Amino acid sequence: MRIDHTHRKWFIGSMAGLAVASALYIPYSVQSPQGPRGGSALGLAYGSAGFAFMLFAGLLGLRKKFPVWRVGRAQNWMRGHLWLGLVSFPIILLHGGFHFGGLLTRVLMWLFIFVFASGLLGTALQHFMPRLQTAQLPLETIYEQIDRVRGQLAEEAQKLVEEACAALEGEVSRASERQRATAAAAGANWDVTVAAGLDADEQASSELRRFLSAEVQPYLARTGPRGTRMGDAALSEAMFRQLRVLFPPNLHSCIDDLENISEEKRQLDNQNRLHKILHGWLLVHIPLSYALLILGAWHAVAAVRF
Amino acid sequence: MLRRTRTTKKLARRIDLQYFSRPHPFRRWRFWLSVVVPVLALGWLLIQRAHGGQKIYSSGRLSRSHAVFTQQCGLCHVTRAGVFFKEVRDQACLTCHDGPVHHSSQTFSPSCWSCHLEHKGVQRLFATSDASCTQCHSHLRTRDGQPHGARSIDGFDRGHPEFSPLGKGKIDPGQIKLNHYLHLQPDLIGPANQGVQMTCEDCHRAAGDTRDWPYGTLSPRASVEQASMRLPGLGAYMAPIQFAKHCAACHTLQFDRRFGNEQVPHDQPNVIHTFLARRFAEYVAAHPAAVHEVEPRNRQLPERDRIPRVAHDRAEWVQFRVEDAEWVLWAKTCKQCHALNFATGALPEVAKSNITPRWLLHAEFDHHAHRMMSCAACHARTPESHDTADILLPGIAVCQQCHQEEGSSQEVAEGRCFECHKYHDWSRAKRTNGRFSIPELRGTAQLILPQGQPPISH
Repeated sequence: MRIDHTHRKWFIGSMAGLAVASALYIPYSVQSPQGPRGGSALGLAYGSAGFAFMLFAGLLGLRKKFPVWRVGRAQNWMRGHLWLGLVSFPIILLHGGFHFGGLLTRVLMWLFIFVFASGLLGTALQHFMPRLQTAQLPLETIYEQIDRVRGQLAEEAQKLVEEACAALEGEVSRASERQRATAAAAGANWDVTVAAGLDADEQASSELRRFLSAEVQPYLARTGPRGTRMGDAALSEAMFRQLRVLFPPNLHSCIDDLENISEEKRQLDNQNRLHKILHGWLLVHIPLSYALLILGAWHAVAAVRF
Repeated sequence: MLRRTRTTKKLARRIDLQYFSRPHPFRRWRFWLSVVVPVLALGWLLIQRAHGGQKIYSSGRLSRSHAVFTQQCGLCHVTRAGVFFKEVRDQACLTCHDGPVHHSSQTFSPSCWSCHLEHKGVQRLFATSDASCTQCHSHLRTRDGQPHGARSIDGFDRGHPEFSPLGKGKIDPGQIKLNHYLHLQPDLIGPANQGVQMTCEDCHRAAGDTRDWPYGTLSPRASVEQASMRLPGLGAYMAPIQFAKHCAACHTLQFDRRFGNEQVPHDQPNVIHTFLARRFAEYVAAHPAAVHEVEPRNRQLPERDRIPRVAHDRAEWVQFRVEDAEWVLWAKTCKQCHALNFATGALPEVAKSNITPRWLLHAEFDHHAHRMMSCAACHARTPESHDTADILLPGIAVCQQCHQEEGSSQEVAEGRCFECHKYHDWSRAKRTNGRFSIPELRGTAQLILPQGQPPISH
């Protein structure tokens, strides 16, 4: 979610709340004989407010699970998650008087630090990266379908090469409609001379197949660019440029298509990488948030008891 | 020429419309981590609970003195029967400690834990915050409505008054005529007419110092015993000045030329009178001819209008000699240091020395802790003092050069209230009787309270 003018109310409200909490903390810390403590009246108030904010932030997951619930727009929940989650951390610091306390509270604070830091990172990523993706990935697809699309690209490349090679080797039955039209336009007799009309070159055919199996298919079969020459955009471009020099002009359209498929695959890899960056922090943020809420609730009960 | 085209229709055909119903590895990871991590956290709590460890609930490490009880929270956190919450009550503290009241006229008694903060790490519990004291002393009120000290103190350098002995018009009540300036001059005539340069520690040493006294006659061992009997806290305060320890070697008490260097006892006049009568009687018994000897004029007493007297018998001779010796003592030897009152009878009355053993009665001071400093660093006026009435106690400004409220965190000496003042009046302390066994204290056994304490259960 982008941080834009629609966040203004949340920003002002949360910052005002934090300012009030901080202003109250100064006389409280100076005047209380035992210093700021989580167990004092104001300390408990800070703790309750902080935990309530954390709880609200945690409920975002539930809200997303049930999108039809009439409990406010998901965007508002997201804004609340962002700003109340942001404020909850300093509020909890005020609650503990900037001390981490004993074993349970220390664990809680470190969990909170990781949750808070990952949340901040996620917020920054969600703010900046969608634009980057739009600019860098014109061929973007649904993330979960990348593997499926990659398979389709491999099939498409295979089909393209098969069709081109069939024409080169005189296999008219496997030649495409377009190739047949080209042959007819050249004055060739049907079924016999179509291959000759296409300047059949068996050597070019085998070279194209070899290129497909050695370079294109391994690249399309892999999830990432690692270990393949075509993964490198500059190297890939150089290879295709060389192919155009080596192969007859009537194969150039096939080569162009293969290059286009490679480029699409490259973008899918890039999308995969960016998606992991954009959403990977959630693997830390969400599990630790749940652990934080459970331990926080336990701490609240234990602290009130003792 | 590129033949591939990307129409929306073509792109839509690529997508499996049921893709969302099959979990993607990323979602699977997120789900399982969201299950496993909280379960691990919960498991950790349950394991801690199963092992009986309450330590994880501790809000911080215990102080040095209580660290040994870390596993036994119930020693301090007690519950009333049937109540879920566990409070820290003064009664739990008073099980092991007595906490005498601060002042009989105080209007408010804070609970133990509000001043002696626990769970703040390895620290000394007596190191209370200034706020513990200033919550009353910043606007002091008493039951009788008349505070005896300053009404508004916010800290050592914020409203703390000058030390009371240094108040305006106050003088040293001591009656021994001592001139510090004179005693610190070079080439004083010391024992055996040797020139000496006295220093402060020739007379002023902390109680418990076993070194020989250069100008005394008392053995060091005896002086230690005397000092430790008088003052607690060896090393903290200077031992009281005593004639035998500090003065006797120079200020000798000879009384008559016939007895050489023999001296009268440093005691009350009647004791001295008895001593003189006995010693002259013994002398004349041993030297009968002395009765008829004409006594030469005593040039030590030029102011005395003295007609040579001839005794008719031994008793009269003893009387004359005692009178002469006493005149030397009262008019010169004793008078040099003591104030004598002749109005009360035949023998003078010696004013009590009234040396102040401790100036700051409401504060603690430790000379030993300041041993790295020269005496004059604090008692700067002493070398120039000519009068006994001068109070040579350093003022609060001297202390404030090093002691400030911020303490060691700001590279200064501790300046919080507890450094000098004690809250509890330990003279009223009562003995407490321990009731716990070692396993109970260490947390390896259940706490069992003796019968007769129904309100509290652990």
